[in-house]
Amino acid sequence: MQTFDNASCGAIVLSMAERIVENRAYLSEIDGKIGDGDHGVNMAKGFGMAAERLKGKNAPLAESLDTLGTVLMTEIGGSMGPLYGVMFTEFAETIQGVEKIDAAAYSKMLHAGLSGIQSIGSAKVGDKTLLDTFVPAVEAFDKATAEGKSFGEALEVLVTAAEAGRDSTIDLVAKIGRASRLGERSLGVLDAGATSCAIILKELSEGARTRLV
Amino acid sequence: MALKTSSPRKGGISRANGPEGLDSIPLRYGDDPYVWACWLYYEDGMTQGEIAEAMGVSRATVNSYLADAREKGIVNISIEPARLASLTIAQELKRHFGLADCLVVPNDDNTRPLIGRLGAAGAQALSKMIKSGDTLAVAWGRTVLSVGEHLDMAPLQDVTVVQATGGTTASFAYTPELTTAAVARAISARCVNITAPAIVASAQMHDMLLAEPLIREQFDTLSRANRIVFGISSLRPNSTIHTSGFFESVPLQHYLAKGAAGVLAGRFIDERGRHIAGPLDDRTIGISLEMLRGIGTRVAVAGGFDKVPALLAALRGGYVNVLVTDAATGAGILRADGVTSLDGKLSQRQKSTPVANAYRTHVKKFLNNPNDVVEEMLDGLIAAHKPYLQPIGNSRRALVARNGPRPGKVGLVIGGGTGHEPCFVGYVGKGLADAVAIGNIFSSPPPDPIAKCAVAASGGAGVLFVYGNYAGDVMNFEMAAELVEEQGIPIRTVLTTDDIVSSPVEDKEGRRGVAGNFFVFKVAGAACDRGMTLDECEAVTRKANDRTYTVGVALESCSMPQTRRHNFEIGPDDMELGMGIHGEPGVSRERIRTADEIVDTIMDNIFKEMKAEPGDRVAVLVNSFGATPLMELYILFRRVEQRLSAKNITIEANWVGHYCTSLDMVGASISILHLDRQLTDLLHHPCQTAILSINAPETDGAARG
Repeated sequence: MQTFDNASCGAIVLSMAERIVENRAYLSEIDGKIGDGDHGVNMAKGFGMAAERLKGKNAPLAESLDTLGTVLMTEIGGSMGPLYGVMFTEFAETIQGVEKIDAAAYSKMLHAGLSGIQSIGSAKVGDKTLLDTFVPAVEAFDKATAEGKSFGEALEVLVTAAEAGRDSTIDLVAKIGRASRLGERSLGVLDAGATSCAIILKELSEGARTRLV
Repeated sequence: MALKTSSPRKGGISRANGPEGLDSIPLRYGDDPYVWACWLYYEDGMTQGEIAEAMGVSRATVNSYLADAREKGIVNISIEPARLASLTIAQELKRHFGLADCLVVPNDDNTRPLIGRLGAAGAQALSKMIKSGDTLAVAWGRTVLSVGEHLDMAPLQDVTVVQATGGTTASFAYTPELTTAAVARAISARCVNITAPAIVASAQMHDMLLAEPLIREQFDTLSRANRIVFGISSLRPNSTIHTSGFFESVPLQHYLAKGAAGVLAGRFIDERGRHIAGPLDDRTIGISLEMLRGIGTRVAVAGGFDKVPALLAALRGGYVNVLVTDAATGAGILRADGVTSLDGKLSQRQKSTPVANAYRTHVKKFLNNPNDVVEEMLDGLIAAHKPYLQPIGNSRRALVARNGPRPGKVGLVIGGGTGHEPCFVGYVGKGLADAVAIGNIFSSPPPDPIAKCAVAASGGAGVLFVYGNYAGDVMNFEMAAELVEEQGIPIRTVLTTDDIVSSPVEDKEGRRGVAGNFFVFKVAGAACDRGMTLDECEAVTRKANDRTYTVGVALESCSMPQTRRHNFEIGPDDMELGMGIHGEPGVSRERIRTADEIVDTIMDNIFKEMKAEPGDRVAVLVNSFGATPLMELYILFRRVEQRLSAKNITIEANWVGHYCTSLDMVGASISILHLDRQLTDLLHHPCQTAILSINAPETDGAARG
């Protein structure tokens, strides 16, 4: 059975932070169309700060995720701070002490993050939020493993579903958050949170897939 | 319309050399009869005759005033660019080809296929032309069928619609029979079909059929046609003429070799519009080109770039005197016929309608490192307002009023993102908020500084959180509340929801909190300072929020320090109604209007919800979004005051200035607090903060209270 190693995979969080920092301008740009244009700036700030704290430490994945979650939760504010903060903290708690992460543990981790987000936010799938990326990605992963696909294959399926979910927000009317005041005018634009969520899930899952043994 | 008056002479009106009858010119027009005439005509909607009477001059004089006023630039009439272009092209086509009329549909609307738009335009043209008693000939084609499908007019009497050619194979939907029937049905006309094939096997058959009395009768009807509508086929490889079956078994090569440019009602013409003789002539049953040219109204409906040569040929041949096409095709026809002035006309006209991007790439700002704006602002702010507030511990994101919290008093904690200065920190001090939590730009503070504020503000009687209703703020403040309640400090929360256009009244709780925060904070701070209980403080704060009504209008977007670019753009002549304080787009975009009209829209919205009786008292806040100067705010206030006094509502107190901004956004909001005795009392309760001092013992002279 394919697994990846908790202790040696903390670098996944560093490369995730790199992607987010790289996409700072892009995320702010799409946020500016229907939101207040600060998504990229705030995300880059939080992920950048977490990366600073993690660099050179070779911390395990669980500890790295916990650091990231704590930074986002306590330093960033806004709506993304608590939402992603809770998600990463839940990720971290779920895999804490798990030496070899297999598909079941990975799924458990994703579900814990998802329920964390749902416990503080009130969005549903279809509301044009990060859930439109997250929920179908998790469902696709579970379905793939249930169908007997390998962990690696299921991770690929997850990434594809996340990106499709992200793109689905183009055709959605925002139901929550600042963009929701726009009603129909929010159509035709990607949701910034769904976009950053796709980046995060892709980096996490690709990172895991390339480290499978 | 722009009105300019030339050096009005106050009081003095009578002029020996002035035009007759102008002695009574109303003062507001100065001594300019042009402006007066224009006003009456364009603004008051009077007819030229009525104006002549009002001004005491002749109708001809009024007419010349109006004409001169346009030349002098007193009146500017502007037309939407796409429509302007199509009108310019239509006028040029009409002039160049000597048409009776021309209708050009703009190409701005690509949501519907061209055939449909041409059909609708052709229907519009026909409905204006067809009169009772007419005989309308209809040639076959996809576009003409579309005309029939769009035609919708009141029934006329004695109209005959006659098929212009014989019939074809029914393997396609726009056969001569169906096209004719569709048009006839649309105008409830008698329908006459030609009951013979359009093309027969031999000249002999042709002559025999035309000798048939039935067909002769049908042709007699056709010869009486006083109007005809037809399409034009190109001979390009993709043309429907190749698939229509009309010319089945006929070698088009013959005609192409002779330079055929297009086909009209089954007849071939060359690029000059001359008839091309060929083997089909003697075998075609239908209207001849000579007959067609003899009809009074000849409406061609066609468009698409491949039809340019065919249309040009038809125009040159004089077969068309009413053309319905689209702007791109029309411009193509003119260019193909060597009209070079068109581009000049189009671009020259467009110069007067500013469409260029008026925004710079970057907005200028006073910055060191854009990433440090919040920190550097806090350095300055904490130093500047030292008498009122100080950091809690070493966290500059949590500031406490120096002489605010005290034992037994409910603590008031406010907070939110930065970029709204003086919100929120300007409202921290004695008699107002006890502590403020500060987030990043437009972004809620995290739970930690909020919790610190709550602990610092607590005097043992509980803590009240008051902040704007935004998803991020709610999450962070709620998490903070949980943390603090674990330490035994009771927390109550009032979300401000004063922006009445952000959500309908049924969803009042979903509205966002904007500049009306000012009033809600003031009332909450006073209640806490009076020593009211947590329950009472919460209740009166909730009441203040329920009775605060705000509407904002933005003229230009704000720009973030990190990007130095406008978050979005508001067009040169537009404004955004319902703009909040985060630079997120508002609820609707409208043409900008005068200050009074804008205030009227805002006040009408407010009056709709605020059930104020004559004699009631209100507090007014006219707030700048950042870049709108006081001068304009006073202009707005002027009208607010007029509207309120007209309803006999008294302004108990008012504030005009920067109270809750959105970085450098151009725009303003108007907030009204509908007072009752308790609220009035609390509004006047002393407070002393960096920005607001009311009835304070030692009022800062610069305070804007």
